[in-house]
Parts: sequence; C-alpha cells; structure tokens
Amino acid sequence: MNVPMQQSDATVPTDELATESAQRPPRGLPFWANPRLGLLAVIVVLVLVFSSLRSSFLNTDLTLVPMQQDLSVFLVVGLAQLAVLSLGHMNLAVPRMAAISAFAMGWCYQHLSVPLWLGLVAGLIVGAAVGALAGWIISATGVNSFVVTLALDFALVGLVSLLYSHIGDGVAFAAHPAGMNTLRNDTFSDYCAGNVCGPPVPLIVPIALLAAVLVALLFRLSRVGREILMTGSNARAARLSGIPVSRRVVQAHALSGTLAALAGFLLAINSGAFSADIGNSFLLPSFLGPVLGGTLLSGGAVSVLGTIFGAALTEVIRTGLNLLNFSVQDLNIYIGLVLLVALSLDRVRHVLAERRGSRA
Amino acid sequence: MRITRFPRGQRALGISVAVLTLAMVATGCARKSNAQGSSTSGNGLAPASVKIAYVPGGPHPYFQPWKTAMNQAKQDFSLGGVTFNETSGWDQTKQNNVLQSLAAQGYNAFGVFGVSPDNINSTFQQLEGKHLTVASLGSCPAGNTDAASFCLATDVQTAAYRAAVAAIQAMGGSGNLVHLTGNKTDSNTQRRIAGVQKAVDETGGKVKLIQTITDIDTDLQTAQKAVADLLGAKGKQINGIVNTAYNPAVASASAVKQSGLPIKVIAIDDDPTILSGIKDGSVAATVVQNPVGQAYVGGYALMKLAGGCTMKTPGQTIDSGSFVVTKSDVATYDTKRQDETKQLKTDFDSKYLSCK
Repeated sequence: MNVPMQQSDATVPTDELATESAQRPPRGLPFWANPRLGLLAVIVVLVLVFSSLRSSFLNTDLTLVPMQQDLSVFLVVGLAQLAVLSLGHMNLAVPRMAAISAFAMGWCYQHLSVPLWLGLVAGLIVGAAVGALAGWIISATGVNSFVVTLALDFALVGLVSLLYSHIGDGVAFAAHPAGMNTLRNDTFSDYCAGNVCGPPVPLIVPIALLAAVLVALLFRLSRVGREILMTGSNARAARLSGIPVSRRVVQAHALSGTLAALAGFLLAINSGAFSADIGNSFLLPSFLGPVLGGTLLSGGAVSVLGTIFGAALTEVIRTGLNLLNFSVQDLNIYIGLVLLVALSLDRVRHVLAERRGSRA
Repeated sequence: MRITRFPRGQRALGISVAVLTLAMVATGCARKSNAQGSSTSGNGLAPASVKIAYVPGGPHPYFQPWKTAMNQAKQDFSLGGVTFNETSGWDQTKQNNVLQSLAAQGYNAFGVFGVSPDNINSTFQQLEGKHLTVASLGSCPAGNTDAASFCLATDVQTAAYRAAVAAIQAMGGSGNLVHLTGNKTDSNTQRRIAGVQKAVDETGGKVKLIQTITDIDTDLQTAQKAVADLLGAKGKQINGIVNTAYNPAVASASAVKQSGLPIKVIAIDDDPTILSGIKDGSVAATVVQNPVGQAYVGGYALMKLAGGCTMKTPGQTIDSGSFVVTKSDVATYDTKRQDETKQLKTDFDSKYLSCK
C-alpha cells in the first residue's frame, strides 16, 4: 500500500527524496492506485454502511462532534509516532511522554495560574526535552529505539505516579484555566456573524490540523525533514552524504515528544482534567493511524494525509460498532476483522493497479 | 527549520492559513447564548419513555449483578428499556464514546461507573447539557462535587476501614499487615489506602502496615503473580492481608489456603471462592458491597428524576452499604443486604427526592 524508498535514493540530491513517492502511486499506475484514495474510499463505504444501519451515526451533537474531538487527539498521537517512524525507529514512550507533559501543564495551571496557552507551551517544552533525551540516548549508545523507549516508558510510569503523589494533588489537578471549558464544549457553530454560524466543528480540531500541516511541511519542504527521512532510509549513506545523523535522530525524537505532549493536552481538554491516566490508551492508536495510512515501519517514507485517514478509519469503525451495540468480546474481534479487510482490499487494489500498469 | 523550496507546499500552506483564518474569524464572531440547562429538574417523562443505560467502567465481575437488577427494575417500574454496556474497557475516552453512542440510540438516563473519577464530572456535565439524566453508580467523582444528579456507591474509605479493623481483630490486635488494592492513579484507591491507614493508626503502633501493593486488580493472573511473589518473599512475617479489590482478594484467598501459612485474609465481595473460603475458615472475613442495590435503586431514582422529580441536594453522595461477613453470618448476609436495598429505595422517596 505504499512505495518504499529505494536504497539508491539515499545518494540522490535531497530534494529528490521519497516523501512524494510515499504520497503518490508509481508512475504509470492509474489514479485509483493511490493508497490514500483507497483508504478514503473504505472510510466513505463504512460511513454509508453505518449510517444506513443506524441513522444516529449522522447525529451532529452525539456522534459527529465527539468523533471529531477524538479524532483530533488520535491524529496527533499518530503524528507523534510518525515523527520517529520516519527514522525507522519506534517510540513506545509516547503514552508517558504525554502523561509527564500533562503533569507539567496541570502543575503550571494549578500552582502558577498561568493562561492556557502558556501552560501548553511549558508542556510542549517538557515533551520535547523528554523526546530529545530518548533520541540522544539512542544516538549516543546505538541501542535500539524499541529498547530505549520501552525502558523510558517504564521509568516515566513510576515518575509520573511519584510526581502526582508528592508534588501534585493526588492523581489529578483540579485547575480549569480560562478557555479550557470553551475549547472543550464549543464548536464553530456556536459562533455567528449575524445569521451565519460556523460549521459543527469542535474548536480543538484546527489545533490538530495545524499540527498535521506543520509536520507535513516539515517532511515535504524543509531540509531537516528530508534529512530525517534520508537518515531513516539509510543512516550510513546519510552520514556519508554529510548529514548530521545524530542531530537528526535527536530532533525527530524531540518532535515526537512535542507531539505526544500536544496529544496529552488535547486529551486533557476533551476529558476535562489533567490527570495521571492521560496517555494510557495512546500506544496502539499511535501505530494504527500512521501504519494504516502508509507510513513505513522501516523508515524513509511518511504520509501525514494517510495518518489522518488511518486515524479516521479506526474512529469510524469504533463509533459504528458502538452504535450497533456490539458486546465487549465482539467489538475488538470485529474492529480487528474490519481493519484486516480494509488493509487486504487496499492491497488487492494496489496489486491490480500494478498489473494494469505493467500491461500498459 | 530551513525551507528549501515551496511550489508543492502552496496548497498545504493555503489550508493552514484557511484554518487559522477560520479560527480567528470564529473567535471574532459573537458567541450564541447558551440555551443548555441542567437536567436535574427532570424532563417530565413517563416511566415507559425512560430508557436507562447502565455503563460500568469496563468488564468486571463486580458489575454482573447489575444485569439482573436492571431487568428487575425494568419489570418492577415499567421502564421503556434498559441496557448494559461494558465496552468502555477501562478507558475514559472509550467510555465517553459509549455514552454518546447510547444517547444517540435514544437512551435518556444513565447509571455510570466512571473510569476516571477525576475526569468523570466533565462527562456528566456534557450529558446533562444534552438534557439527559445521569447518576454515578458504584463510584463517585473525585473531589467534593458531583455533576451527576446523585452518587449511589460504596463509601470506599469506610469499607476499607471496616475491612482493616476486621483484619486487625482477626490478627489479635497486633502484627504485620499487608494491603492489596487496585490502580494507584484512581482516587478511589487513594481513599481505600487512607481507610486502611486510619485503622492501622488507631492501634497505636501494635499493627504495622508493612506493604501496600497497588495496580494488581487488572486481572486474576496479575493478582496471583503478585500474591505468589509476596508470600514467597515475606510470607512468614505477615499476620494479615486486607484486600480492597476483587482480583487480589480471590488470589490471596486461594494462595494463603494452598501455602498453609497462618495469615488472616480479609477479602472483598462475595465471589464463590471467597464464600467457600469463609466457610472452611481460610478467609477470616469479607466486606460485601451492594451492587444489586446500586443498579435497582439507582434505576428507580433515575426514572423518578427523568419523570420530573428533583434531588433535594443535587449531586448528593449516598452510601449503598457495605457489610463485614464472617463465618457466623455467611448464610444470612444476603437478607441483610436486601433489607438495605429496600431501605435505600424508601430513603430516596422520603429523604432525597422532591416530587410534585
């Protein structure tokens, strides 16, 4: 469903690198072979199926708005993982990077009474610092990112718990800075100029979209982003090409930490409190969105648009199955089955497209 | 970051500018007045129009009696419908999704065991803002306020205190005690820890709390491993184990019995393993809760509130009862619990609800 970067690509000029090849089908294939288009088609089909089975699937207040709120969080969680998948690394500490950043934000709101944006900045800095630490350990020791971030996650589990017990207020901060409830409860439809009101889109959605756009711009247009991808594709070739590989590893992990912190902030806004359990449910969705969307686990190619669609697909499936009243045992089985079918169809479509392309 | 070229990014840049503009325009616009109100005043629904959803935090044996009790409530109070949904999987985000989905399906009253006591008030506020009737059942929100109409739950601190007192009595008033409990980041666990500590403090140093083990209520296997490790390391020093979570209780009851160590085990709830342990003397006592009463009386109160009654004190916390059961009353404790349930229903009519 995606096109991996060829090893030889590492030697071509930076602006020829393969971010675009991950976004588009190989030359000669029909337009419908674009993996992102396939994912979008699966989402559209599922929306049609679910809304025909349950009309409440299209209920604005009770289904569509909450879906967008959750999607915003899981999109940013997916981007946090994507940032290191670009290197061919993993960040198993995404959940706890979110948790420790949420602690920092909550502490700032509770004890320093800072405005919402300033607490967010403090949390992002903490997230970036923890991410950079992970990146530095990986590049300095050469130990696999899986091991380093797993160990870091364990360490942070204990640290977060200790921080809440000794410095925090038990297991959560009660502070609600000005604007937090507005950001949580309002949609653009609550704001009108005369008789014209905005769409029923929650206020946190633009924050997640902005993060997605910035990450896409980073990997598509900036030298740093392209060098990170080149490092992910072939670190040795990247080093021989003069790319500061260690620095790029640290930067990619710092970006992952920053995005994990942003996801923690968005979840705290959605759930209404900065608490110790922020991030507990982040690990699986962090991989699901990017991998479904075509980001390679081996590094060298990322797809932000695919991550958006991947996160949306899982959200649509879960909401649809919830509305169809699946039991707890059935729910996970069917989520797995639907994902498997979606991925298989996508693969079948891509193979068909390749055959058609080779015949042409 | 250094941008090397822009041509392909113009569209993406355009999107980001549009998003920002939208946000700025929105904040510049006038906000519509908030017409949403609290549903604590009720919706004037007839019982046949009231559909109650019981939503535990996730799958757990504790909630299984809710199913029988809710069907009994449906029959006794002629409710329009009841459902039980445990798909939240101990994840607050998923629980919020489940609640929204059930509301979209037409359920208009909710008995909720919130996954995260610290966040659940926000969820309650959101549901009440949509004119739905909400009660917290089995677990109250953290802090001193409850955004739901009422909380009908075990007073966990008192129950833990009673369990610890029973353990200390079984130990003969002195010795080393261990406390096994659930998720440390749950404020209810903090209350349980405080309850046990209070009982230990009252002994004036005769009883020492040598260890509190948290986070072992996720499943029975985790609890069994933790208890095996505990008995292997400190089995001979321990005189009593007080459990304030279900899985550790089942695990410690069978592990202590198998090991033959003279440890007094105080369990929680009335799992068949625990009841048989009390009968054969391997479990000194258990603290049983009242999940049937929570679901049955909770359903009754939700029906009344949806019908137009109001709580005299909105957000009031009501103890659903906890009882120490020993060998002497293991055969009769359920009668006591049924009496407590009847009393709770009477109390709602006479003390807590205001109906015109």
